[in-house]
Amino acid sequence: MFKKQDKGWYILFTAPLIFIFTTVVIIPFFIGIGYSFFSWDGLPLNPKVFVGMENYVKLFSDGRFLSSAIHTTLFTFLAILLINLLGLIFALVVTTKLKVRNAARAMLFMPYLIGGLILGYIWKFIFGDAFSSIGEQIGLTSVFFNWLLDSRFALYALVIVATWQMAGYIMIIYITGIQGIPEDVIEAAHVDGANLWVTLFRVKFPLMMPSFTISLFMTLSNCFKVFDVNFSLTGGGPNNATEMFAMNIYNEIFQLNNYGYGQAKAIVFFIVVAAVTLYQVSITKKREVVMV
Amino acid sequence: MKKRRVAIVFLSCFIIAGLLFTGCTIPGTSGSTGGTQTTAKKIIVFQSKVEITDQMEALAEEYKAETGVEVEVWGTTGDDYFQQLKTKLANNQGPTVFSLAPGSESEQMKNYLEDLSGLSFVGKIAEGMANVIDGKVVGIPYTVEGFGLVYNKSMISPDEVKDYTSFVKMMQDQKAKDVNGLSLSQESYFLIGHILNTPFALQADPFQYVADLAAGKVKMADTPEFQEFAKFYAAIRDYAKNPLEINYDKEIGDLATGKSAAIHQGNWCAGMFNDYQLDFELGMMPLPLAGNDCLAVSVPAAWYVNSQASDAEKQAGKEFLTWLYTSNTGKRYLMEEFGFIPVVAGMENKNLDVLSQEVAKYTAEGKTIPWPMSQWPAGIVDVYLVPVAEQFFTTEMTPEDFLAELDRVWVEASK
Repeated sequence: MFKKQDKGWYILFTAPLIFIFTTVVIIPFFIGIGYSFFSWDGLPLNPKVFVGMENYVKLFSDGRFLSSAIHTTLFTFLAILLINLLGLIFALVVTTKLKVRNAARAMLFMPYLIGGLILGYIWKFIFGDAFSSIGEQIGLTSVFFNWLLDSRFALYALVIVATWQMAGYIMIIYITGIQGIPEDVIEAAHVDGANLWVTLFRVKFPLMMPSFTISLFMTLSNCFKVFDVNFSLTGGGPNNATEMFAMNIYNEIFQLNNYGYGQAKAIVFFIVVAAVTLYQVSITKKREVVMV
Repeated sequence: MKKRRVAIVFLSCFIIAGLLFTGCTIPGTSGSTGGTQTTAKKIIVFQSKVEITDQMEALAEEYKAETGVEVEVWGTTGDDYFQQLKTKLANNQGPTVFSLAPGSESEQMKNYLEDLSGLSFVGKIAEGMANVIDGKVVGIPYTVEGFGLVYNKSMISPDEVKDYTSFVKMMQDQKAKDVNGLSLSQESYFLIGHILNTPFALQADPFQYVADLAAGKVKMADTPEFQEFAKFYAAIRDYAKNPLEINYDKEIGDLATGKSAAIHQGNWCAGMFNDYQLDFELGMMPLPLAGNDCLAVSVPAAWYVNSQASDAEKQAGKEFLTWLYTSNTGKRYLMEEFGFIPVVAGMENKNLDVLSQEVAKYTAEGKTIPWPMSQWPAGIVDVYLVPVAEQFFTTEMTPEDFLAELDRVWVEASK
């Protein structure tokens, strides 16, 4: 229960945020739901035609949208695996008594500070020109060729860039998790004769469960919504093999001028992302250990 | 329980406040100054041609010095100009004067276009160059641009590349010398947009053909010009570097340094060669598709006045365009600073770059074909055609499958 005074502070701090969140997220969200029932090109002076559920019906027979769903799922699966694995390994390494651990933390975090668009353009050069000339020089053309021109490898390239960008950030979350484990628990494990492996899996990981929840949630929703790297690295190509959900929606709305249809896609996209992430959070939450 | 109720009350208050707030701001139009004044003291110009941005700024200062009306020039990065413009117009924060590509772009925006038929110089615009919608002149052309094969005069001669057979021979000869016979590049229009315009333009009625194609009445796969186009495309795949590995800069650089003999480009790229010391002469020749001997020449962009601006602003916008096309300063900028090819009688450009001279020459001889691509469904090049081209250049797709795939996406895009 709040005291009167507390309530004042509570309002003071939350009201501006609620106001902003309402005006830029909640209201547009509901307006967007409304638009998804119209056929409209986004210009107020041009006619809006009410089509009911037609946009939603059309969506399930849209081969391109469905294949973008498959790419997104595959990308998300691979990226989550790689990002969390690397993030966790980095975190474990930089929390040891390593001399260069502060420098290492800074360096590993650095890629996250570069915007996704720029990152995409940098890696475009690496996977394209750099890879082909390495291949020509050393002859290993089965590995070093222009990855962005092969539909399977272009997706892997996206996974690699996303990992390179996100792993450092996820590492920070795991570091806080590791540092939050009380020393005495680890010590007790040592005294009981647990080796490094057992300590890691039986003591550290269960106590780090909240970090797993957050990291998985972050990577899951970020990978599902990936756009900037997708846009600048592959542009959806070759032959739409790397066109993700967000990019498909962007193309529908801004390139093809189908605002209503694009909105319908966006709403479905929202429902999918919300359902998947909430399900994930509910699973990992259950496994969190409460420290008393 | 009580906590939740409080939260709900707050939330609903904010939603209502938010609704009121957004509701109030939407109708507010930009700077309507009332009826007493006939000409606004300030107009905003937003245009798509990145190459002339600096010159536009200089022009704005001269205009202010001569007439006292301030011109604010908004910059753009080029690629997303049309989206930015639409967003601004949709929010009633639109510029007074803006540019569009005449065709499906201007058709879509026609409710926002002011009738410019009354401007004094409209009668002097060259035949067919002004953008006319519903019988009214709405767009004033910038210039004409043409595209075809930009080639190295010391490497190939247009007399030897007249049809498919001689084209393939040229490609083979150049490949034997380790030179790219004809280079495209990965950007959507340079990859497929411009080159696919040619078979359309060679139809008896190009614009009708676009409409028939959308309606499914004709198929590219059954049209001889397109069958030949697919063969040309296959020759490029067989005898030249993969265009997907080449970007615009590299394409230009390769031609300038003798690694390519020709590129499929237009006169807009002339400025790109300023960075190089060329030891040969550049020329421009038609893509010899089905014996074609014409360059594709048309108006890339035109000026429009925003019909949703206040009367005073619209008046100021019209006066600005009139000044640009009739005053000595305005004409000097169009010709000398922007480097445009004249489209309005009474102007002459003596300092055209070498490629623009070729375009002007072909235009004077009447050897031009139109740009039916301006009538293609909006967004089709980036969203539908590029993926097919990418598939063609990364797999062993046959020319027949390529055309069938183009037909399929065309119908899909036209829905």
